[in-house]
Amino acid sequence: MAWSLPTPGSQISDIKKVNRRPGSGNPWTTRLIAYGFLLPTFAFVIGFSYYPAFRALIGAFTNWDGFNPPTWVGLSNFVQAFQDPIFLGSLWHVAVWTAVGIPLALIPPFIAAEMIFHVKSLRAQYLYRTIFVLSFVLPTVVSILIWQYIYEPSGVLNALLHVLGLTSLEHSWIGNPHLALGAVILMGFPWINAFNLLIYYAGLQSIPQEILDAAQMDGATGWDRIRSVDIPLVRSQTKLLLILSIIGVSQNLLVPLLMTSGGPGTSTTTPVFYMYQTAIQYDQYGYSMAIAFMLFAAVMVLAILNIRFFQSDTN
Amino acid sequence: MPIRIRGLWIHMAIIVLAALTIYPIVFMVVNAFKTGAETAASPFALPLHPLFNNFKLALQATWPAYRQSAFIVGVSVFGMLSSALLASYAFARLQFREREMLFYVVFGLLLIPPFLTLIPLFLEIKNLGLLDTPWGLILPYIAGGQAFAIFILRSFIRAIPEDLFEAARIDGAHDLRLFWHIAVPLSVPILITLAVLNVVGLWSDYILPSLVLNSAHETVAMAIANFVPPPQAPSINAFNQQLAAFTLSSIPLGVLFLFLMRYFVAGITSGALKM
Repeated sequence: MAWSLPTPGSQISDIKKVNRRPGSGNPWTTRLIAYGFLLPTFAFVIGFSYYPAFRALIGAFTNWDGFNPPTWVGLSNFVQAFQDPIFLGSLWHVAVWTAVGIPLALIPPFIAAEMIFHVKSLRAQYLYRTIFVLSFVLPTVVSILIWQYIYEPSGVLNALLHVLGLTSLEHSWIGNPHLALGAVILMGFPWINAFNLLIYYAGLQSIPQEILDAAQMDGATGWDRIRSVDIPLVRSQTKLLLILSIIGVSQNLLVPLLMTSGGPGTSTTTPVFYMYQTAIQYDQYGYSMAIAFMLFAAVMVLAILNIRFFQSDTN
Repeated sequence: MPIRIRGLWIHMAIIVLAALTIYPIVFMVVNAFKTGAETAASPFALPLHPLFNNFKLALQATWPAYRQSAFIVGVSVFGMLSSALLASYAFARLQFREREMLFYVVFGLLLIPPFLTLIPLFLEIKNLGLLDTPWGLILPYIAGGQAFAIFILRSFIRAIPEDLFEAARIDGAHDLRLFWHIAVPLSVPILITLAVLNVVGLWSDYILPSLVLNSAHETVAMAIANFVPPPQAPSINAFNQQLAAFTLSSIPLGVLFLFLMRYFVAGITSGALKM
């Protein structure tokens, strides 16, 4: 993450020189060489990125068991999806997940960043940052499986409630269809994502000292300063994390796959998990790709809305 | 005096939050040294007699997966960076009419989310007869890393002063020599950064490997998720052995972070990442 970007000056001199560079008289020779250099990349991305993406978008309009040739069925997969209670339920689950998960992805890291930023000693700030970043070391698969154990009937959470004498609150957290979705969403307590924390910390660091001094002169300290100075001035970081979190939640296949298999019943089935399940378990590849198509369209619309929001904001 | 008390309060709150945040790591390591009975009695207690045997059994059960993962990740990252570097040279240093258009074809890859290609990719790998082979993962991994790597490498190679290339060209060097003797050596630091980022991502990937490979060819992420203790292991401690396997699987990334943490944190906090 320490590459240097080209400076404007170097680019300009670069273009001038390329234009009158010796030995490039024949554009066809250069073109041939360029295509040679590009060949491996294009072979890989066409074969293993564009082709499967194209298959997914076309496959959404077919009936396909993955073995026999697909047959064209028009929009019937989409019609089927909106009459399918599991799919409709999955939309509700991802809506709840987004509504709860996004604030959890933004607010606790911001609070932690504020707290670290308010520590006087820079050495202590560095130490605290390092401790939070330590959680990067755990592969995602491992942290999901540890949380699965925390939620088990004989797991850590119930053991803690037992120690505290709150035995009436003990539950089979991910075994109970009424609690499973909440448990899965609230996984990761106290929700201090190290990446988000560092982004906010950097945002706070970049607030000019004059603004902080001016705020202090106006008597804005503590909560007042955070509300009137810090939060507005880290807006660009908030937007970045908002986009990344929306994309992350809508595509989160690993958590339902490893932790709950979408269950119990279909209580933690999200659209992306249902896409996986209809293909891999039920061999309904056309239907699965229709779900992928809709999810893709939704993510694209959200991304475009975000970009629009940005442009109007910077102008 | 009130300022001091407030300062102390902040330190304590941060320490509590930090402890809760890294608790899963503490839980994993502490219980990896215990017996099943000790964990059942209290998951919080420290091990009375640390049981190193759990780690021995865990390593025995997952060792083939480490070799498999090392091969897959090594070949993928090498192949990905090699082809991305070639393409970046063409995009940064060669003048041809379709350059912009072809660059947008690569850039457009960033719009394809991984979930969209997951199922068709699985079918494609199956039809190519690559199921249960490392190539079923290596080929998609090479393709998947291109857009980001080219995006970074192109701007890096473009920033190399043209004088260096011109001097070599006057000596009669052709593009392949310019690439190999100027662009490649000067790109080593950025190549290392990109390699680290990709190793981290591919090492913990679970979903595509679990579709492509069966348990006889599993990667580390698969082996620890579907942990099967060796036959002679005391099954009462199976969960603790799995935690030992988790701990061992975190060591490669842990070592990487030990060396690169400062660098990594500086990269994010330098403010390069904001919109």
